[in-house]
Amino acid sequence: MTPVSLDQPWGRGFNVEHTHAFARDSELPTRSFLPRGLGRSYGDVCVNDSGVLLHNFRRDRLLDFDEVHGVLRCESGASIADIAAVMVRKGWFPAVVPGTRFVTVGGAIANDIHGKNHHVCGTFSRSVLSMLLRRSDQDVQIVESNHPLEDVTVAGLGLSGVIDEAMLQLDCIPGPGIKQDTVLFGGNGSIDGYLSLDASSQAWPYTVGWIDTLDRGLRGVFFRGEHCDGPDDWLTPNAAKLAMPVDAPQWVLGRWSAKAFNELYYRAQGLKSATRETIPLWQFFFPLDAVTAWNRAYGKRGFVQYQFVVPRAAAREVVPKILAHLRESNVASYLAVIKSFGEHLSRGLLSFPMPGVTVALDVPAPNEKDRRALDRADAMVADAGGRVYPAKDARMSAVMFKRFYPQWERVEAMRDPMISSSFWRRVTRSS
Amino acid sequence: MKIVVVGATSAIAQAAIRIWAGEGHTLIVFGRNNSELERIAADARVRGAVAVTVHAGEITSNAYIASAVDSLAVNGGVDQALIAHGSLTDAERAATEPDYLAREFTVNFTSACVWAQLLANAMAANEQPVTKTSRGDRSRTIAVISSVAGERGRYSNFAYGAAKAGLTAFCDGLRAKMLPRGVYIVTVKPGTVDTPMTAHMKRGALTASAESVARGIVGAMNNKTDIAYLPLIWWPIMSIVRAIPERIAKKLKW
Repeated sequence: MTPVSLDQPWGRGFNVEHTHAFARDSELPTRSFLPRGLGRSYGDVCVNDSGVLLHNFRRDRLLDFDEVHGVLRCESGASIADIAAVMVRKGWFPAVVPGTRFVTVGGAIANDIHGKNHHVCGTFSRSVLSMLLRRSDQDVQIVESNHPLEDVTVAGLGLSGVIDEAMLQLDCIPGPGIKQDTVLFGGNGSIDGYLSLDASSQAWPYTVGWIDTLDRGLRGVFFRGEHCDGPDDWLTPNAAKLAMPVDAPQWVLGRWSAKAFNELYYRAQGLKSATRETIPLWQFFFPLDAVTAWNRAYGKRGFVQYQFVVPRAAAREVVPKILAHLRESNVASYLAVIKSFGEHLSRGLLSFPMPGVTVALDVPAPNEKDRRALDRADAMVADAGGRVYPAKDARMSAVMFKRFYPQWERVEAMRDPMISSSFWRRVTRSS
Repeated sequence: MKIVVVGATSAIAQAAIRIWAGEGHTLIVFGRNNSELERIAADARVRGAVAVTVHAGEITSNAYIASAVDSLAVNGGVDQALIAHGSLTDAERAATEPDYLAREFTVNFTSACVWAQLLANAMAANEQPVTKTSRGDRSRTIAVISSVAGERGRYSNFAYGAAKAGLTAFCDGLRAKMLPRGVYIVTVKPGTVDTPMTAHMKRGALTASAESVARGIVGAMNNKTDIAYLPLIWWPIMSIVRAIPERIAKKLKW
């Protein structure tokens, strides 16, 4: 598995200059570097402008698999795509997967990613039994529960050292299918419809909502699913048949095309409202992976993704307020994802999820006005006691970051002195 | 099947090993770096290889190659082999260090020829396929990774190109010689492949992934293709490159 770009993050549009290094057995670069996986973070957490990127995607060997207990030891450059493709055949599946399977295990740990089953099992790091960590200033060490580097390596954005290997607990699954329920909700300007569907679906292992942020009524579609068996030809994902060969022109990306897209999407779901179907798990978890380099749909100026979470008590009131603010500020979005996080707390000091409700939306090539609107949204999130997701970010201010993640100073203190990122320099500078 | 891979730590070889592992074959891997080979073997086992044997040694030395091929024959022979080791010669260094140039030829040309010749001899001695497959006789096939760089000596990397040109010619002859004895030689000619060997080069539109080249190799070996340009686009490109008159070619800094 190779990255779409060695320099650009998934959101693109950065003007950066990197020196590239490729991970070998033991040598680390001799000047400031940043370990990097497949570059699927949206913003500058995977950028190290004027420094070295240590690419880890070729260190992707699966080293040992305990077929009885479902414990896999692998190199950290192994992708979720690769692990899933091998393991689904054996009846196992990664305990937590994000919305794309093209991320590495190292990246999944460093960003402490979450999935549609957060309400049941928390973040990715809960399935990580141990990690092998290499630093420029210490010997290679095994990091597991209660190790002093544990809470800065999990969700540590790669700053605490190079994660060489990881031991993962996989989940046992009955087969390659997903039994999926689709239900429409909303229309009255609140997220009550979503919240009540979510509350009544707690027994489902996977739940997620899609919400039309351009619609005043905040209509949406709720998906819930559970693993089931399926035919053998579902065991492997279909190779991506579609690819964005060129960048989309800028006019495609405006508010009206987003509105049209959302309308079409909603209607397509509506035709089969409240349906129950069995689909390949690949389609359920990774719908956008069917289009290679779909980020090019946002043109060469790229996009950012804005993902925030607010505590459960505040969500009902604050989420519609923030969405109304963004709508009134003309911050267009094709697809906003809404998900209710569970109570599991992560070990990582910079871990994003908290018990509450998260919303993620795409913002194509934000201009100054869009940025001010997003800054205002940051303040609303912070006032509600929530936070914004670094893995998706390319713009939050240092002041806001420090409010969202008050323990950042411990990460700074424990950081490998040779490792840094554009993101880290941006959000830790003194204002 | 029982499949031998020489130069198993190369990116293309690793990708091919993964395909074969997923199909449940038995693998015997040769290379120089023992700890890397052990990781590759572990990976192949997790992916479904029936058994993987690791041999770390000086794979470019004649004595080593001879004893390695002998031990394979003693252990019942093999069905297929992929000879994948190689080194992208540093043209600047080759121009000033004769010993380096000679060593590069040993790696890219001489040792690959010796492996191909000795493995072919050993396979020819087997009347029957070592492993009978349901999809016809895929046994007694050797793939050798040459390069499109061997099609013409070029300004920028003719030391590498010359070794690969020699290897291509050797494989052509060996193919003819071995045809009546039932051994098939597949010459693989990849273009630029995205691997650690080419990490310093710019990735262009024609840069192929190691995975796609490996799929091409496995297919070519099963079909007993004589010469496989991977990807196929390099066949028309190299036809044109070969047709350029030397009086023009000598002025090109390509």
